[in-house]
Amino acid sequence: MQSAKSEFIAGIVDELPLMLGVVPFGLVFGVLGIASGLSVAETILMSSVLFGGASQVVFAQLWASGAPAFVIGGSVSVINLRHVLYSASMSVYLHHLPLRWRVILAYLLTDEAYAVSIRRFRDKPCNQHMHYHLLGAGMLLWVGWQISTIIGVVVGETIPDSWSLSFAIPLTFIAVVAPILRTRADLAAAFTAGILALLGQPLPWKLWLILAAIGGIAAGWLVHLHTEKSRKTLS
Amino acid sequence: MTWVIMIMAGLFTFATRFVMFSGGTQRQLPAWLNDALTFVPIAVLTAIIVPAVLVDPVSNSISYMPTPRLIAALVAIAVALLTRHVVTTIIIGLVTLWILQWWM
Repeated sequence: MQSAKSEFIAGIVDELPLMLGVVPFGLVFGVLGIASGLSVAETILMSSVLFGGASQVVFAQLWASGAPAFVIGGSVSVINLRHVLYSASMSVYLHHLPLRWRVILAYLLTDEAYAVSIRRFRDKPCNQHMHYHLLGAGMLLWVGWQISTIIGVVVGETIPDSWSLSFAIPLTFIAVVAPILRTRADLAAAFTAGILALLGQPLPWKLWLILAAIGGIAAGWLVHLHTEKSRKTLS
Repeated sequence: MTWVIMIMAGLFTFATRFVMFSGGTQRQLPAWLNDALTFVPIAVLTAIIVPAVLVDPVSNSISYMPTPRLIAALVAIAVALLTRHVVTTIIIGLVTLWILQWWM
């Protein structure tokens, strides 16, 4: 029987390798937040209020460009919609827990914590303490994210613009997206989103991101439907 | 005002994480919604990547010539496909950009 403590530690250990990608991203967000004109308090607290890397970066960039509130809110919302998927696939393992546990674990449910804890839930025998795995993974991630944001805020002012450090953001996303483009539907989603993001640049209020995201999701979904339908007709 | 937007966005983000834990009877998403949501990361991240690579930050116009950013991004795509490693991709991409900016 695994104890709560050993599950918690296993969560931390499983999460550790992923921190290699999280810490530089947190640093870059801290630097970028200050460069965008957000205050020190706003930048640091955004890492606990939103606790989602891509959405925080977009928040800072849109805010710096003077986009209206509904566009910032809308963009952040579209970006974070993917969590509904994680929430759905985790709920089988967590729905029986008391409310305070579900609230804490939902707050800690990020891409990286989901990735390691869903593997543990699915692959290893279930027990009554296994939610401590997600708590361990999520807490390590949370602490690492806060510390790296703070370091980014502190050192941000000393890094010259000529280093183009903000380019680390598209590079991080390239590292995430390039290897997961497998099907024709994936490619359709990526191409549509990319082209709409360029065509939409002249749109007012920085609406291009919402437009490109929704267009890309729709294109991927339509191609996926079409492939499924032709597969069914064939068989 | 920044705080209001941030807190609203934070509450919405929390809701996306909590929605299926909320204790309702339904624990599975409808298939069509599940399928559509799988395309969120690809669509969103590509929409962030493409302008960051192709739109000139100073003139704010799309550059059609091979710029240091474009070449560094192509190198990063190759590294990402070969290594599947985030930190390696960032480092090689940034170093490529620095070399090209110094050289071009």
